[in-house]
Amino acid sequence: MTTRLRTLATNRLLLLGGLLAIVFLGVSVAHPGYASAQNIRDLLVQCAPVVIIGCAMTLVILTGEIDVSVGSMMGLLAAGIGILSSPERLGLPAGVVVAAVVAGGILLGGVNGMLVVAGRVPSIIVTLGMMTVLRGVTEILMGGEWITDLPASVRYLGTGEPLGLPLSIWTAMAAVVATVVVARKTPLGLHIYATGGNSTAAAMARVHVGVVRVTVFAIAGLMTAVATLVSVPQQSVIESGIGVGFELLVITAVVVGGTSISGGYGGVAGTVLAALLLANIRPALLYLDLGDRATFWERAIQGAFILAAVLSDRCRWFRRADGKAVTITTGGSP
Amino acid sequence: MKILTQVLITAIMATVMAFTATAVATGAVEPSPSKRITICLLPKKKGLPYFTTCSKGAQQAADELGDVELIYDGPTDGSPEKAASMVDRWALRGVDVIAVSPNDPEVLGQAMKKAREKGIRVITWDADAAPATREFMVNQATAREIGHALVDAMAKDLGSDQPEGKVAIITATLTAANQNEWIKYMKERLEKYPKLTLIATKPSNEDQRLAFQIAQDLMKAHPDLKGIFGISSVAFPGAAEAVKQAGNSGKVLVTGLATPNDMKAYVKDGTVKSVVLWNTVDLGYLTVHAAHALATGTLKPGQTSFTAGRLGERKIEGDQILLGQILVFTKDNIDQFDF
Repeated sequence: MTTRLRTLATNRLLLLGGLLAIVFLGVSVAHPGYASAQNIRDLLVQCAPVVIIGCAMTLVILTGEIDVSVGSMMGLLAAGIGILSSPERLGLPAGVVVAAVVAGGILLGGVNGMLVVAGRVPSIIVTLGMMTVLRGVTEILMGGEWITDLPASVRYLGTGEPLGLPLSIWTAMAAVVATVVVARKTPLGLHIYATGGNSTAAAMARVHVGVVRVTVFAIAGLMTAVATLVSVPQQSVIESGIGVGFELLVITAVVVGGTSISGGYGGVAGTVLAALLLANIRPALLYLDLGDRATFWERAIQGAFILAAVLSDRCRWFRRADGKAVTITTGGSP
Repeated sequence: MKILTQVLITAIMATVMAFTATAVATGAVEPSPSKRITICLLPKKKGLPYFTTCSKGAQQAADELGDVELIYDGPTDGSPEKAASMVDRWALRGVDVIAVSPNDPEVLGQAMKKAREKGIRVITWDADAAPATREFMVNQATAREIGHALVDAMAKDLGSDQPEGKVAIITATLTAANQNEWIKYMKERLEKYPKLTLIATKPSNEDQRLAFQIAQDLMKAHPDLKGIFGISSVAFPGAAEAVKQAGNSGKVLVTGLATPNDMKAYVKDGTVKSVVLWNTVDLGYLTVHAAHALATGTLKPGQTSFTAGRLGERKIEGDQILLGQILVFTKDNIDQFDF
């Protein structure tokens, strides 16, 4: 029976990989510049923060939860970077800034998790509230002004290229590897799938579902901090609107990537492929030069991807309910 | 004990409040011997450098006029509700003129109407509200002037009488009314430079990162691109950063609307040759002069011009008092401005 599940998963990856290849090669034929090293590099840089947060979001959604506060968290942590590092504000050294932002991210994510577990509030409500609160705090901290004098050491995080590749691409690759290892090779990974598959059964199998939930939210905070550190200093200005709507981009990548929105099923590989595919939509439309009207299509296409992904997820559930497909096999304790 | 403490605290608070009320009341009824004119200047958001520089100009005008008591105050968070309650309070105090930059014309319009019913003169500045809620608007620039100034700046930066090449616009959103108005007049002005072709108008959704990516894509998809207009506050620095990181500074020119301080670094390194905005100090200065003239009766509806101190004769079109002077900040003059 697991083979059936595995085929489905492979199919989703094959489907995404195929679409990605078609889009990329198709546009490259029409406009050879699309396949240039520079464009591939830009696409990967653009994807990097989506992939980094997407790794953690995959774990959150696998657990059967959701975190819509990551965009606002990014905004607040970006404000933190600016206020801590700008010579006109606190002027702290880059090392201290990185440590503080990472600690801040873990703390904010942990608070999300605690509210969900201890408060027994659905995560969509908790993180929706958090989304507004964090944006408000960001606006208060920034006081309606911009920070434009980030020191070179902090700008390096966003623009530096150790060993010839931008730091954000290295970081994204590390995040993917780490998440795959956690998901596949550790008890935590098993517990995440078990909690999302059937939390009652998991609890009976002595999985600490509460601890698992808090952990995945803390990981989401950590990854958001890391993504903020390697992507925001790519720009010269820190303002209070950074990260608005970013959570949608990330959640879209996870869901289109084949992770079930109800938890228990999916993985990081799909998220990465979906993030790459989605990142191609806007530039592809721009390269194909379909005129100004084409801009209107970008969101429509993104939305269509989400709908298609969610519908295929539903179909899978119906099949399961039919009894023809499978029951979750990962529920056992290690 | 607990109750006693509470009673005590309440008593203290009541006393403080009574004192404040008395102070305010005294301020209101105090007869002004030389008939001073009280002008209230309300920004959209207090604490923004843009408005702080406006208030500097307003204070200059008040000092010059001599008989003006200027109150500059507004909500620090830009909340239109708080701004409206300030207008209400000033109306109760019976000030002479209230000049409003409404962040939400609907919300503030109500308060402005009420103030007018109490006999207070109300004008708008920087942004407008419905005509019935105010007598005049002090307008920094018309959409036409802004659109033309942007295109002229780009043409001049490209460096000849008949500049040629491809240019693109990165706007805020496709539905932003202000920007769409400017784009309309930019297109009108582009006809003057037939060899400049507008190849794309892309939205950045007020997202610096997206503006950055779009600028990158535009440069790659059109290697012969000559210029980018960044016409929203975050699209401008986003586009400039993309050009700079691609090593195209000086090859692809970026221009747009921003306060000079925010773009100074790009102007210094040559990525941006011109930043377009109006003189915000003069905007505040003109507003106080207009308010003063309105209160003293030298400014009446139907006039086509009036004299505003050091700015001299200013044009009035209908109920719009025009500052009519768009500034272009370049490497040579940007250090003279601090806003």
